[in-house]
Amino acid sequence: MEYKLVLDNISKVFGDGDTSVKVLDHVSLHVKAGEFVALVGPSGSGKSTFLSIAGALLSPSSGRIILGGEEINDLSPKQMNRIRMEKIGFIFQSSNLIPYLTVRDQLLLIPELAGTLNEKAEKRADDLLKRLGLAHRKNNYPESLSGGERQRVAIARAWMNDPEIILADEPTASLDSERGRAVVQMLADEVKLRDKAAIMVTHDRRMLDLCDRVVFIEDGKLLEQTKRMSL
Amino acid sequence: MNGDERIMFLALREFQYAKLRYLLIGLIMVLIAWLVFFVSGLAKGLSSDNASSIQTMKADYFVLQKDSDHRFNRSLLSEDQLQDVRQFVGNNASTPLGVQMTTVTKKGSSKKIDATFFAIDMNGMLAPELAEGNLINNSTKNEIIVDQSFKNEGLSIGSRIKDQLSGKEFKIVGFTKNQSFSHTPVIHMNFKEWASIQPSNAQNKLSFNALALKADQGKADNIEKNVKEVDVLAKGKALEGIPGYKEEQGSLMMMIVFLFIIAAFVLAVFFYVITIQKMNQFGVLKAIGAKSSQLARTILFQVLMLSIVSLVISMALTYGISAVLPNSMPFDLSPLLAFGCSGLFLAVSVAGSLLSLYRVVKIDAIEAIGRAV
Repeated sequence: MEYKLVLDNISKVFGDGDTSVKVLDHVSLHVKAGEFVALVGPSGSGKSTFLSIAGALLSPSSGRIILGGEEINDLSPKQMNRIRMEKIGFIFQSSNLIPYLTVRDQLLLIPELAGTLNEKAEKRADDLLKRLGLAHRKNNYPESLSGGERQRVAIARAWMNDPEIILADEPTASLDSERGRAVVQMLADEVKLRDKAAIMVTHDRRMLDLCDRVVFIEDGKLLEQTKRMSL
Repeated sequence: MNGDERIMFLALREFQYAKLRYLLIGLIMVLIAWLVFFVSGLAKGLSSDNASSIQTMKADYFVLQKDSDHRFNRSLLSEDQLQDVRQFVGNNASTPLGVQMTTVTKKGSSKKIDATFFAIDMNGMLAPELAEGNLINNSTKNEIIVDQSFKNEGLSIGSRIKDQLSGKEFKIVGFTKNQSFSHTPVIHMNFKEWASIQPSNAQNKLSFNALALKADQGKADNIEKNVKEVDVLAKGKALEGIPGYKEEQGSLMMMIVFLFIIAAFVLAVFFYVITIQKMNQFGVLKAIGAKSSQLARTILFQVLMLSIVSLVISMALTYGISAVLPNSMPFDLSPLLAFGCSGLFLAVSVAGSLLSLYRVVKIDAIEAIGRAV
């Protein structure tokens, strides 16, 4: 069985001595290729920290992380930067697009930063935009897009570097449930199509049926739960 | 794809998107740079309008009476002191100079013109270059050569002027170029005429205000040590002793320095505010793998681009304006001075952006996670 992401016995402690706070407590999670995992929990449960560690934004205090076969728990900030650029796709709350780039440039920014902008990358961007129904919007700035369109651009951007895993931080927070559902559906379809993995942090339980697996987090501990909801 | 294009990707697209914002800051930069160029040119122009006679002299040092505060018109030297000095430098390397500020009138008119008499040895190194007419020599009588700004007063070769102090009349035989002292045109005469306009001197001995030297530092120090009652100062120091020169250049210099400081602060504040506004955006960019150096280069590129374009525009404006200025306006902006100012302006701009660069480097990519804005 190929795992895209393995989190093995991860702990994260902030501060030290008497004032230390244990945000993640021996957390383990395995995500297979083609699997779409939802991470649910109340605020302060460690969701953001979990996502930051899985996304190579933060180093764990202890434990191992293996992303696409590469161990990334003990890297320098520079190496973590490279990992994020090459292997991880992020989708943030309320999309976080760059206001002064057109939709197409939002996508081309990724290979631009990596120094790999070429015709192939441009074709990839155009294909992604077409697949996500944004081809007619490619010369628009984010300000003229609807919330749903912006999140679709964010999804397209996250796929631009052909990542091993997509990490989504409450991607539907700023959308109504109908549009939110469409966006998550699109994300799920892409994960299946490309045989990659995705973890989505959400508090919106209506989206959970679109995920293969739901993981609950509370007080820094994971409670796994197999899929039982069905419509 | 080369590195330069990569830097420009974000920078240029942002310029394009926020045109008005960058146009406005560019406009401010243009105005400041324009003022810098203009005041610099004015300072240079005024400096030569004030003191071109000394600036163009082929002398390295001046000997003045001790405690004359570096001022020619307060100094008085005697023939004996000239002989003392000449023991250290050759006769050809030292020559006396008489300086007297005065007021003259054109014959037949009551309009007064301020001027400065320079009494010189016409065979010595201070003899001015002639632009027009004839030279005088050490034995000509009643003849003078004057700066060509006298032409603006309606005087020409052959015209006569009257010195108000002595009541003596002189005939203009030639015009010189760039000969002014304390913003007045210089009138060159020989020592024979000089003696005739001086208050009568009991011993009938020649006296003058300064000695011009062609000498090196060592000789100058030697003279100061060994000749009684004299100061030896370099040409630059002597310039500062011209009435009003130091004050004028000092206040203009202060304006220029302040303009540079203002330029630095305007850019610093502008980019700092914009950077603070974009903190979240930079966090996102870092999260998706942008390096701090890439973001810092983007800002630096924007600052340099803004500054360079502003400088080019303001330089064009400055030279355009100087072309239509009247000739009597003392404005002199040499390309060297313009490029010097531009270089300093760029350096100051980059210094102003350092604060923003620091903030950008310090931004943590993790800020992009768990934030709704």
